[in-house]
Amino acid sequence: MKNRLEELRKQRGIRQEDLAAALEVSRQTVGSLENGRYNPSILLAFKIARYFGMSVEDVFIYEEEK
Amino acid sequence: MTRKAREYATAIMGLLLLGIGLYLVKTIADPQGFMRALPFVCVGLGCGAFGHGVSDIIFRRAVAGHPDIQKRIDVEKNDERNISISNRAKAKAFDVMIYVFGALMVSFALMGVDMVAVLLLVFSYLFVEGCAIRYRCKYDKEM
Repeated sequence: MKNRLEELRKQRGIRQEDLAAALEVSRQTVGSLENGRYNPSILLAFKIARYFGMSVEDVFIYEEEK
Repeated sequence: MTRKAREYATAIMGLLLLGIGLYLVKTIADPQGFMRALPFVCVGLGCGAFGHGVSDIIFRRAVAGHPDIQKRIDVEKNDERNISISNRAKAKAFDVMIYVFGALMVSFALMGVDMVAVLLLVFSYLFVEGCAIRYRCKYDKEM
């Protein structure tokens, strides 16, 4: 699963630390999410989408496995 | 019991156990049976409980005036990625432990170790496997 987290964060000029604090997760989690190394739980995905005022589908891009 | 009282109780119990253990080491001249091991078990448990209790007390006092640090610690503790990593590590360690237990049981049997020790190991192995099955059934119903 891909996501637009880094793009959205940079568009808004938010630091990873600030995003992490707002989402109540560690900065490492934000970094891992941005790199695609970690897929969030559905709760965190909704939290992130709500933070950016978007829908989950707009932030996270589901790709079918080939 | 509040958290504070529990911390002090753990530290005091540890200190008491440590004292009892040291007292038994000094006073029993010719210990027989389980009394040979009991004083050292008391010392070990006492040191562990005392250290655990005191570290909790020191930690609570250290973060008492710093809500920001407390908040950061809580976030790190409840962070879903950290929890996921911890659970995966535990699951992997469990898989490894099953093989280690198996190898130990075979080794003990081949070495001709006392039957009681081998049976204890077998039953602890079965107990752990039983726990795994029990929690699998429990979570299967819950999820």
